[in-house]
Amino acid sequence: MPILEIRGLKKSFGNLKVLRGIDLTVESGERIAIIGGSGCGKSVFLRSIELLEIPDEGKIFIDGDEITAKDVNIDIIRRKMGMVWQRFNLFSHMNVMENLCLAPVKLLKMNPQEAKEKAMILLEQVGLTTKAYEYPGYLSGGQQQRIAICRTLMMNPKVILFDEPTSALDPTMVGEVLAVIRTLAKQDLTMLIVTHEMNFAREVATRVLFFADGEIYEQGTPKEIFDNPKRAKTIAFINKQKYFSYEINERQFDLPKMQGGIQTFAEKYGLNARKTNRLQLCCEELIYEMLNNSCTGDDIKILLDITYSELDNKIKINFSCAGKSYNPLEKSIDEDIDEADLGAMILHNLSKDYSHEYVDGVNKITFRLT
Amino acid sequence: MEFTDIIYKVFIKDGSWLTILNGLRVTVEISALSLLFGTLLGAIICYFRVGKITLLKMIAKAYIAIIRGSPVLMLLMLLFYGVFAKTGLSPIFVAVITFSLHTAAHVAELLRSSLMALDKGQAEAARTLGFSAFQTFKLITFPQIIRIAKPVYTSTAINLIQWTSVVGYVTITDLTRVINNTASRTMQPMITIIGGMLIYLLISYITYRLFDLSDRKQKTNSGE
Repeated sequence: MPILEIRGLKKSFGNLKVLRGIDLTVESGERIAIIGGSGCGKSVFLRSIELLEIPDEGKIFIDGDEITAKDVNIDIIRRKMGMVWQRFNLFSHMNVMENLCLAPVKLLKMNPQEAKEKAMILLEQVGLTTKAYEYPGYLSGGQQQRIAICRTLMMNPKVILFDEPTSALDPTMVGEVLAVIRTLAKQDLTMLIVTHEMNFAREVATRVLFFADGEIYEQGTPKEIFDNPKRAKTIAFINKQKYFSYEINERQFDLPKMQGGIQTFAEKYGLNARKTNRLQLCCEELIYEMLNNSCTGDDIKILLDITYSELDNKIKINFSCAGKSYNPLEKSIDEDIDEADLGAMILHNLSKDYSHEYVDGVNKITFRLT
Repeated sequence: MEFTDIIYKVFIKDGSWLTILNGLRVTVEISALSLLFGTLLGAIICYFRVGKITLLKMIAKAYIAIIRGSPVLMLLMLLFYGVFAKTGLSPIFVAVITFSLHTAAHVAELLRSSLMALDKGQAEAARTLGFSAFQTFKLITFPQIIRIAKPVYTSTAINLIQWTSVVGYVTITDLTRVINNTASRTMQPMITIIGGMLIYLLISYITYRLFDLSDRKQKTNSGE
């Protein structure tokens, strides 16, 4: 029997469809990393499993019990799951020991002395026995998160849900928390981890889910997802691609506005000034070449797409222009150049892997910036 | 006349100290009862104010706005000479009603702001561990609200004590009234009124220490 089964999960906030139908079956011992851009619904998904968000549609089974069923005692079913939060959420008015023992003593009727012993064993595993009687407010983020993990382990959960467990930590503390999660992974605990730490996901997960547009857009083994993603959005996410597009619909288009847009885009992703200049120059020359030679009349339809991949620092330009077939780099550049061909000359010098095709009355030009 | 003689004449002679003590008792009585009932009523109003029922929400909002926006002495006179004029209720009883209503509005807002300052993540964490909504409130939310609200609640209590000094207007012989009477009787307003102020100061200080004490107790609970 699967430890966790989700069927057709849907959730909207007002008009915003956050989850658009998610199906997932998790077998015991699986470690699932959930990755995806901001606002793709991964956190809401975890919260829905715990029923902190009430799904609009769909069913969730935990170890065979349906938590979404009516008249079911969700408090009992929730005990089978543990949740680790981005913001730790330790009880601030209790010390570490009280934080750990509260739930097992009150809910599982564990003997307080036994609970304490168990807590000490767990604290030893995460290296925090000396902090047993400290208050959470006096501990660092990394320490708090390690204790929060112990708190969920005190209940012997069958599944642990991690909601971006390292996102609120400063970089020096990420390692200690990931180390603890790694040791849990070795104990064959079933885990669902929403994370932005790609290397960690690759190393720890047995399966990776890529969330986009409120659904599981692509899933597979870490190798499949990270080394050989199949679908467009996954590829863009894995390669950290960033986009800029600009559309031109009239001959007297707003050039400064476009250049400003490119400038902002370039600054946002840390392109150096030289590259930014070249990019702007290329785009400008290309547009004027096409306006002068391809477009007839005032019916202009030009689309400029710039893709920047943070991973390999490459810039790709996709350009389409409706009109007559025209390839600005058709002419041989080596001949004597007159002033009118200066644009083509610039393009030639700044582009790599240049290609031009003419399909259904549209010129399609792609190239990379050198 | 020497200074000690004046002190003797004002505060001791002819059982003057007994009268003062009596006034003090009335002040403490009205303050304590009003704080108790005001807090209970305030909690209920706060519950309505943050609740989901629109009508109750509106009523709570209006209540808070009216009570906080008008002088408590006006309210006291309205109730004593108006609303309860013909019922023959004892003035102290009416005063307790007035100050309870007054305190309730302040406590309701105080609790609401504490609720807003509360870290909701901790309650969610408790729920996911398997605690019911009620257990979560009892074990997590309530202790934390108390903690957040306490400093402001202390000053609300101290304010209340000062405000009860107006009950002389409705024939109640509280500490302020006794001091006023003594001052006229002995023709020693400076000494008498300063003495009265010192008594108020002492009550405030004791109140403050009482709240502070419970705070300390919480802090020392840390070690075992």
